[in-house]
Amino acid sequence: MTKVPLRLAGLLAIALLALVASLLVGGSYVAPGDLLYALAHPHANTDVVTILWQLRMPRVCIAAVVGAELAIAGALLQGLLRNPLVDSYLTGVSPGAAAAIALSVVAGIAAPALPAIGFVAGLGTAMLVAAFARRGAGLDAIRLILCGVSLSALFSAVVTLVLTRAGADYAAQILAWLAGSTAGRGWHDLFFTLPYAALGLAFALVAVPALNVLRLGETRATAVGVNVARTQWVILIAAALLAASAVAVSGSIGFVGLVVPHLARRVVGGDARALLPASAFLGAALCAIADAASRSIAAPAELPVGVLLAFVGVPTFLYLYLNMQKVARA
Amino acid sequence: MIALRNAAIGIEGRTLIAPATASLASGRFVAVLGPNGVGKTTLLRVLSGALRPIGGEVRLGDVDPAALAPLERAHRVAFVTSDDAPVEGLTARDVVASGRYPFHRWWEWSENPGDTGAIDGALAAVGMDGFAERRFETLSSGERQRIWIALALAQEAPVVLLDEPTSHLDVRVAHEILALLRAQARAGRTIVCAMHDINDAATYADMLMLLGDERMLAFDVPERVFTASLLERAYGIPMEIVRAASGAPRAFAIGSASGAYPGS
Repeated sequence: MTKVPLRLAGLLAIALLALVASLLVGGSYVAPGDLLYALAHPHANTDVVTILWQLRMPRVCIAAVVGAELAIAGALLQGLLRNPLVDSYLTGVSPGAAAAIALSVVAGIAAPALPAIGFVAGLGTAMLVAAFARRGAGLDAIRLILCGVSLSALFSAVVTLVLTRAGADYAAQILAWLAGSTAGRGWHDLFFTLPYAALGLAFALVAVPALNVLRLGETRATAVGVNVARTQWVILIAAALLAASAVAVSGSIGFVGLVVPHLARRVVGGDARALLPASAFLGAALCAIADAASRSIAAPAELPVGVLLAFVGVPTFLYLYLNMQKVARA
Repeated sequence: MIALRNAAIGIEGRTLIAPATASLASGRFVAVLGPNGVGKTTLLRVLSGALRPIGGEVRLGDVDPAALAPLERAHRVAFVTSDDAPVEGLTARDVVASGRYPFHRWWEWSENPGDTGAIDGALAAVGMDGFAERRFETLSSGERQRIWIALALAQEAPVVLLDEPTSHLDVRVAHEILALLRAQARAGRTIVCAMHDINDAATYADMLMLLGDERMLAFDVPERVFTASLLERAYGIPMEIVRAASGAPRAFAIGSASGAYPGS
């Protein structure tokens, strides 16, 4: 168990390396030396400074924050519901936001307002699902999952309907958002999302000791004094804030919230004190690298981050997960 | 230490046990006996404060356990449930450490010396100190039950309620667990244990609480509870009472060769 802090430090190092690496690549080639100079002199008046500080840096930071948010939200919900198949979007955050964005685009609402609309709609959907899943003072896990899945289906249908009826221009704009992307995001997007991310993280931290005891099941957690109903709400609100603020700036990025907590659990174990930071580091690293790849693979065109994550991430995850299981069994 | 005062026990509008009064003193091992579905678990839940009685009152020391905040309650009463939710990825020690939850504010994340002493002491008390770093899911049923009891001990509550802790255990392990519980009672804790083996209960418990026929039929020392008529009334099957060489009473159900119980 003393190895855990060391492993966390290793994951943090990986995350930082991924951030630096993804700053180095992009649509246009810039010599690493020039980039390092620009990194050290943010106020110099060169093109490289503009590329690094106005184009790449905000995107990389946003990708890392979004990855960390989705991974933490996934870890929280998997722990709360004791269900490994749950992800950050369980409560319909992503389809809810997508439906609102699609309708807003068609209604002609200006692009800068979309993140706020996505955030409010995502959070609202999560709260609606939670309201349906209420049982006594707390939440019913099965009902939460069922309501989340059904509302997700409903809102996905709304998006499909809008896509089929809207003109090609609108559809392209909506699709770009649906695919999950950090293209064209700047500092203001990051600053928009950070307060909600911080609030979600604060809620998550409050629930850490209870989350650990919940690994024994709700009955036993109750017996040692965990207020299970209150913990359920705290965790749900934390996860909804984190997922909604991620969705607001980057659209629908799947896979991270489901998979990263599993990988993190294999590295540091299931203790929430280690699992949450480990998930954050891995999620940040994964999304930063995916963002770099999305900018460089087909440059100057951009591939959506969400698509890349699925193409590269899913086979990698399956390989790692299945092999590690074999090793564990042997 | 813990008392029922004219308390009626029920769940979902159904009365399971008519109003009953009993006082469970500190340092006693009380076994709760009765057929399946009679309300043993519900009674334990009422004693723990997780459920209110449908009439009368329950006193835990000088308070109503149901009125306590969850954390406050956890300091006063520990509950070893028969819940068998799977536990994965935890060591035996991790499980026992959960008993220290009520001693921490939400920002106190790390184990303090008091926790270490309580956890290691609890593991030693149940004879599992050599198993601390074993994965919980690799333990046998008896070892797991010891760990659940250690969790309750680490909680340092004066009252420990247990729901059928010996039900799926072999004879020897069951006796070891019961001896362990009796030792805890001798050390000053109040032990209330729902169980099915009436003879084990008579061997280890100081007091038997016999439930049946929708009431508390008896709350007394084993010697007085072990009468054919009381046990027959509780379990609905003829009983024969005999004496072990030690003088302790033993009860046996009398079946019949036809497979039907006489009188049924």
